[in-house]
Amino acid sequence: MRALVLALRDLRLEWRGRAGLLSAFSFIAVVLFIMGIAFGPDEANLRRAGPGVLWVALAFAGSMLASRAWALEVENETLDDLLLTPGSREWIYVGKLLFLWLLMIVMGAFLLVLVAAWFYLPLAAWPQLFVTLVLGGTGYTVIAAFYAGLTVRLRARDVLLYLLVFPMILPVVLAAVKATLGIAFGAEFAEIVSWWKLLGVFDVVYLTLCVLLFPGVIEG
Amino acid sequence: MADPLVEVQNVWKRFGRQWVLRDLSLAVERGEVVALLGPNGVGKTTLLRVIATLIRPQRGTVRLFGRPARALEAERGRIALVANPPAFYRHLSGEENLEQALALAGKPISRAQALEAMGRVGLPEGRTVAAYSSGMRKRLALARTLLARPRLLLLDEPETALDTGGREELVRVIGEVAREGAVVLATHDHGFAAEVATRSFAMEGRA
Repeated sequence: MRALVLALRDLRLEWRGRAGLLSAFSFIAVVLFIMGIAFGPDEANLRRAGPGVLWVALAFAGSMLASRAWALEVENETLDDLLLTPGSREWIYVGKLLFLWLLMIVMGAFLLVLVAAWFYLPLAAWPQLFVTLVLGGTGYTVIAAFYAGLTVRLRARDVLLYLLVFPMILPVVLAAVKATLGIAFGAEFAEIVSWWKLLGVFDVVYLTLCVLLFPGVIEG
Repeated sequence: MADPLVEVQNVWKRFGRQWVLRDLSLAVERGEVVALLGPNGVGKTTLLRVIATLIRPQRGTVRLFGRPARALEAERGRIALVANPPAFYRHLSGEENLEQALALAGKPISRAQALEAMGRVGLPEGRTVAAYSSGMRKRLALARTLLARPRLLLLDEPETALDTGGREELVRVIGEVAREGAVVLATHDHGFAAEVATRSFAMEGRA
């Protein structure tokens, strides 16, 4: 329950400040524009590049948002107050994760539409694309929220975050790109499901580990 | 005899290669208001943060409420630390900050309770904290303390930026907490320490 209160409060803060959201959406627009020009105008090229562009843009923008989730506490100097709340501290991680996850799903849906328009991603298969987005987005946010919390007190946190997160999320991004490619090129449903299963396993393993480890890493 | 509310024993704390606290010991009994006095950089704020379990000393032990501080998950809600300046979310109003802080501490309050506490410390409703002066932030911190009802209140230079009315309210809040718990405050103001503290603790040395 406290995790939900924290996530909703962060959403309210982000909505009022808008700094993180504006940066992430601007970044996505620029990436799509540059990639669109780089791969275009051949339709086959664009269709082939679409899934990769989708997940690369989502991964970088997601890191910006993950950093933002904890930056709210640094900017307001309120991290100590969170750490002084009673009980074990897993809920703080879960609250930040929930906040980031909601933003990622909204941003991912927005990105899907843009990539579909520019890179010929078949939106007719939107339920499958959405399942891939949810599974891939979950794996990504679980790792990003954890490392963003781990580095929140460091001056070089923004640089370190990318260095720490990207090696860890490589399997998630690869599986998500493969599933999206399968959907874009009409692969067998069973093949797409196999990638979903892999993403599901990553999500469960990463989430379990991060929840267990978080109280230890956030201590001063 | 009951255990002290706060028991710091032979604590050493360093940041990088610089020792800030060296073999420091302090015990605070229930009902006491202890003023930490000393020049800038002597470790007053660090000591408050060590007591609050926010930073871990390299050596020594800290016991709160008669138990090792690190084993105090459930009781952490009985500790309140008011930093200087107090920390609040700038884009939320004063009452929203109070509601959020108490909800996350597991003591949810209504909007009416938040407004009542703000009224008591003389704060208007509906204004975001970004528009607050330093003194208003201190008053909001007092309102949060009134609502949280901590057993152990840790204050870092609480008297700065407060006008006469705010200072009187601060003295009242310190008295209220000390009736059932204890207060440890860091200050440079010897006059204020003499006014509110039952005991002063002089910290010396160079940071």
